[in-house]
Amino acid sequence: MDEVNRRDFLSWTGHGLGGAALASLLFRDGVLQAAPVPGESADRPPHHPPRARRAVHVCLCGGLSQVDSFDYKPALLRHHGESLTSGERPDVFFGQVGLLRRPDWEFRRRGRSGLWISELFPHLAALADELTVIRSMFAETSNHTPATFQENTGFRLNGFPVVGSWLSYGLGCATDDLPAYVVIPDTRALPAGGSINWSSGFLPARHQGVVVRSHGTPIDDLFPERPLDAAAERDSRDLLVQMNRRHLQARGDSDLLAARVRSYELAARMQLAVPEVTNFSGETRATHALYGLDRPETADFGRSCLLARRLLERGVRFVQLFSGGPFGGNPRINWDAHENVRVNHGGEAARIDRPVAGLLADLRRRGMLDDTLVLFTSEFGRTPFAQSAANVIGLGRDHNQYGFSVWLAGAGLKHGTAYGETDEIGWKAAEDPVPWHDFHATVLHLLGIDHTRLTYYHNGIRRRLTNVHGEVIEGILA
Amino acid sequence: MHRLMLLAPLLVLVPGRAAGQLPPKAPTFDRTVAPLLASRCLDCHGAASPRGGLDLTRRKSALAGGKSGAVIVPGKPAESLLWEHVERGRMPPKAPLSAAEKKVLHDWIKAGAPWGTDPIDPFRITTDRRAGYDWWALQPLGQPQQPRVKDAAWVRNPIDAFVLQRLEARGLRPSPPADRRTLIRRLTFDLLGLPPGPEDIDAFLKDDSADAYEKLVDRLLNSPHYGERWARHWLDVARFGESDGFEYDKRRPNAWRYRDWVVAALNADMPYDEFVRLQLAGDVLRPGDAAAVTATGFLVAGPWDEVGQRQQSAVMRAVVRQDELEDILGVVGQTFLGLTVHCARCHDHKFDPIRQAEYYQLAAALAGVKHGERPIATPEVQKRRAILVARGDELRRLVRGVDGEVTRAILAERAQGQPPRPEPPRPVARWVFNADLRDQLGALHGTAQGGAALKGGRLRLDGRRALVATAPLQRDLKARTLEAWVSLADLAQRGGGAISVQTLDGVTFDAIVFGEREPGRWLAGSNGFTRTRNFDGPAETEASKRLVHVAIAYHEDGTIAGYRDGKPYGRPYRSSGPVVFKAGKAQVVFGVRHGLPGGNKMLAGSIARAQLYDRALTPAEVAASAGRVDHVEPAEILARLSPERRAERQGWAAELANVEKELAGLDNLKAYAVTPQEPEKVHLLLRGEPGRPGPEVTPRGIAAVHGLAPDFPLSPGAPEGERRKALARWVTDPGNPLFARVIVNRLWHHHFGVGLVDTPSDFGFNGGRPSHPELLDHLAGELLRRKGSLKAMHRLVVTSAAYRQSSRWSAAAAKIDADNRLLWRKSPARLEAEAVRDTLLAVAGQLNRDGGGPGYEDFLVTVFGVTQSFKNVDRPGPEYQRRSLYRTWARSGRNNLLDAFDCPDPSTNTPRRAMTTTPAQALSLLNNALVLRMADAFADRLRREAGQNAARQVERAYLLAYGRPAVGEEAAAARQFIDRHGLPAFCRVVFNSNEFLYID
Repeated sequence: MDEVNRRDFLSWTGHGLGGAALASLLFRDGVLQAAPVPGESADRPPHHPPRARRAVHVCLCGGLSQVDSFDYKPALLRHHGESLTSGERPDVFFGQVGLLRRPDWEFRRRGRSGLWISELFPHLAALADELTVIRSMFAETSNHTPATFQENTGFRLNGFPVVGSWLSYGLGCATDDLPAYVVIPDTRALPAGGSINWSSGFLPARHQGVVVRSHGTPIDDLFPERPLDAAAERDSRDLLVQMNRRHLQARGDSDLLAARVRSYELAARMQLAVPEVTNFSGETRATHALYGLDRPETADFGRSCLLARRLLERGVRFVQLFSGGPFGGNPRINWDAHENVRVNHGGEAARIDRPVAGLLADLRRRGMLDDTLVLFTSEFGRTPFAQSAANVIGLGRDHNQYGFSVWLAGAGLKHGTAYGETDEIGWKAAEDPVPWHDFHATVLHLLGIDHTRLTYYHNGIRRRLTNVHGEVIEGILA
Repeated sequence: MHRLMLLAPLLVLVPGRAAGQLPPKAPTFDRTVAPLLASRCLDCHGAASPRGGLDLTRRKSALAGGKSGAVIVPGKPAESLLWEHVERGRMPPKAPLSAAEKKVLHDWIKAGAPWGTDPIDPFRITTDRRAGYDWWALQPLGQPQQPRVKDAAWVRNPIDAFVLQRLEARGLRPSPPADRRTLIRRLTFDLLGLPPGPEDIDAFLKDDSADAYEKLVDRLLNSPHYGERWARHWLDVARFGESDGFEYDKRRPNAWRYRDWVVAALNADMPYDEFVRLQLAGDVLRPGDAAAVTATGFLVAGPWDEVGQRQQSAVMRAVVRQDELEDILGVVGQTFLGLTVHCARCHDHKFDPIRQAEYYQLAAALAGVKHGERPIATPEVQKRRAILVARGDELRRLVRGVDGEVTRAILAERAQGQPPRPEPPRPVARWVFNADLRDQLGALHGTAQGGAALKGGRLRLDGRRALVATAPLQRDLKARTLEAWVSLADLAQRGGGAISVQTLDGVTFDAIVFGEREPGRWLAGSNGFTRTRNFDGPAETEASKRLVHVAIAYHEDGTIAGYRDGKPYGRPYRSSGPVVFKAGKAQVVFGVRHGLPGGNKMLAGSIARAQLYDRALTPAEVAASAGRVDHVEPAEILARLSPERRAERQGWAAELANVEKELAGLDNLKAYAVTPQEPEKVHLLLRGEPGRPGPEVTPRGIAAVHGLAPDFPLSPGAPEGERRKALARWVTDPGNPLFARVIVNRLWHHHFGVGLVDTPSDFGFNGGRPSHPELLDHLAGELLRRKGSLKAMHRLVVTSAAYRQSSRWSAAAAKIDADNRLLWRKSPARLEAEAVRDTLLAVAGQLNRDGGGPGYEDFLVTVFGVTQSFKNVDRPGPEYQRRSLYRTWARSGRNNLLDAFDCPDPSTNTPRRAMTTTPAQALSLLNNALVLRMADAFADRLRREAGQNAARQVERAYLLAYGRPAVGEEAAAARQFIDRHGLPAFCRVVFNSNEFLYID
């Protein structure tokens, strides 16, 4: 981080409001509930003792190549340059099926577990014994956005709540000072569709993801653009409380109106909490280095990862980090390696490998990994054959919905293991195939939620994250 | 918890009509056993894929048993496997039967297992698990008598009698009437979504006439703001957005016309049935009527997955199309019928009597609905157009007169000395499809695929799989001309390519395409339209009858010019420049726009001849190639004219150019609406999967709706428009009880905050039960008697005593009815998101009340490739200070302030908004740039209107913001605050106060 940015960043606490003034505004008497929201289910979690209390999700946009990262396929090395042996004509997104292509990175056994991970992620590979890799994921579509919707909402369409919103709805937040569901976008750009990706869909809007930026203004409207004089701010809130009390008295006892008074207290607490959580000055030099804040290629994502840890530490339920912006464009700023896997994945991995590994290591050394769930996914994988003319070993790979890898780490999982398999060349899930619904059911399970019981009534259906599907993947649970 | 159980203590449920629906002598089996089997066994042991091979829907199969043999031994429960499982609670697996239910089965087997209606219709009777044909909402409208009540003096109109009866039955009393200040504020927000001005309040307070309130109601219903307010409610259920959503989230620049149509229709009090018919089928009911075409924007107001529609995989494209139809069908069912028909896409509806086949029958009526832009023209525009067309014809005649004279002379001279035919330009490749697919000039020989065949001197293309692809190019191609003599199988096709140059992977291409963006027109297609747009040429009318010559020239400087029959087609335009197609890496294809066969890329028709040039031809060359001998270059003509005649001719030509430009603009008037396409055959899809078609189905309504026949009077293979017309008639039939019930409940929902049925788009088993079923039917009947007038219904509701009650809380009443479903008071309402913003602007004196037209944009747009990305910003200036209805509702371009106040995601239909109270709201009202700007503006207004005196400023502020004077100590406290911190800081506090946000 350069000096100017740092000063910008630290100056948050200097804004308008003094801590003491705010504290005086807080009511100590009872917490009042807002009116119940139509649609909410009475069957509130936890449904069983949770293994994880919070989760962080690294969401890779564009499609990570499993055969170049977490799914080692010796046969693909042997068949490099050959055409597909199966008689099936692959139904790929861009319609081009080139020759089989070997991975661009070398695979090695890692750690005590001997998990195969490629040199694409050297730092993560060093933490192989923490990872629970699922190698047999499959999706319903190989179109980015519907696939991303499915990855995050269980459905292919716009308008459904994402995992973070479901968790906010089901579990709320462990703190009053910060939102339950925080989104940290890639510093280069928002993912395609922007806020569509953290929409609460038909859940009340308060469950949508709150964007906290790791650079610049962390949260919209947290403070006025022109700082107000601290005394004016304090007196404003006093006057407001007075006026609202009078209003309340004239109308009788109404929970709804009292809840508004409470919302102003919580807002004031957020104004203290957010500048504190986004201020890294208390972190040691070693921690900065652990996350790669001292290196130009990793500083962006490192800041995001460190911010994620600080948010989790302070009670945020679900932090979602995006790696990658919109699809298309040239050069690409996502994982969509149609043209050249080596160049594309090489560049993207260099941005996030050290920071994500740093996050894992930091959570572990703080003891947080025991009750924190870490998720690392992309919406689908890439084809083991090149995206090129039929007789060419092109440099890029097309979308592959039929088989791909994700990993989890942390609470309640079998560590240093891989679950499920793809076929010989890493194309299609072959053994223990895992649909997103099962993945989601498992994530909810670890957080103490029975996925069939977390429901919200919307337009005729008691909606679930898992639609009418989903089985907990027992094979990855500790 | 189940909704039924939640409400049971409070509400009188509509009495089950289970027995009433059956013939009086129905066998015991039909009364007791069949419903039990249907609700508890048939989910697994149904006819479709019976678990364990046991199908309990038919007598024969039930007695035959399953894989483990017979399960029923008539007369002998003890020997029956079925009874054994049931008795021991093994079946049904998760929820064993109650003792009473067990007894029913036991007694039945004991009695010899007599059967009744065969097979069992699981939809016949409502059970505790699901709704049957006897479900309350599906029954014809009742004609309830006005109930007798004790306090008859309270009753202002029949609504009150129905409300009071329920209150009295529970020992509750209505609240006293609200005072006049409260009433005008309540009514103005309710009907207009805006606060009343101090003058309005004053006038109402001073009006002594007996009907002062009724006059106020009429004045407000006649305000143009009424339509704006209630259009927003409608757009919520229409899931109205002004961009595609999904990956690109491309803008829909003409989607606002549908919004304006809704506003205008509501303001004109268009009868509700008409309002609905036009939204379903306006384009076919009133062809040529721009407003009616615009109305169909309802059907396509939802998201649209362009990438999904264009992907290579035909299988995945079919899935995307089915998802799209589910969206359309879902919104039609919920909006107009309160039926969740979309839940029957993969199987029979789990809760309501809707069969899977009925989903597809309804889908067959909508299967031709496609998203797109459609030309429209208002009467004024048509008038102007006629004038321009006439003037254009006149100018063309004048120019032609001069040119013709000179041309004839030139041609005569040519005939004497020179060759009669101009030399056609020389292509680099030529295909003449009379004998083979060979390139007559080079090596770009074609290969037929997918059944492309030569017949009668033409290449025949079936529009499905047939195409011809050539060998790779032998040299690079930059500037170029594509040319083909082509005939079309039909003019309704959308998107087929005649001739295309593409990279070998089919990704990058330039093609002559028919009808893709706009029906019936030629255009230059390119990947993602990255280089090309419309020529704005005239619609094709001839190509279905004969060969037409079509050419597109791609100039080195990026200019792209289209030609038809050797003459310029539409207007040339500048693109970003021609792509270079590399030797060995690109090829020519015929019959497909690009890539693999399938989807809308395939041309149905035939091609006689095609040519490729390695340069952009001039107009004269194209004319020559097309075989025109009468082409004379304009320069040649001008050169022969005298200076005077030349000036005259050039004057006409210049005016003609202007006329054409204006005409093109008028012809560009478009609405985002249904662009119909003749549908293919519709099949039931097993498990909803496009790859598993079942029997073919034809358009039909839902049979369970009593009071009208489900059959549509359509001949087999009826055209698309007839199908939608039939659907519109069925939906709006006066005999359709759901139609009227659903809309009067929506009105009630918005007037009272909760509907009589609290799930306004779901009157099915999973929805709420009516709190006042008879009142609901009374109101539905009133709507029919008032000929669908929504304004009449508003008037009825807001003039009731129930509506005019005070909102004051009562602990005693709340003990009996905490949610106020019985209406012992008027529940206070928080302003919706849009009303918060509109009121901020109005109170600050900054609201721009102009209605209609393209929306304002409160965001900055970044385009990355083809993906739009939006960043919310506050923009000062009157054009950005219009009512929030007029914001551009891009699906991912949300607004922080509106979102904080529960503005719904425009990708999902929202019959009732959540009303939450959150810290984000507090932060928004304290810090949002617009709020602070309005606080400043409000302060300016107060200084302007009340001068420098703080007491008068406070007085004015209270009147404007709260509609009442400040009283006692609050005025003093406000003055003190202003003294210390200034007027803007005070205005900000006012905006944050409960009294500002909540309406009594």
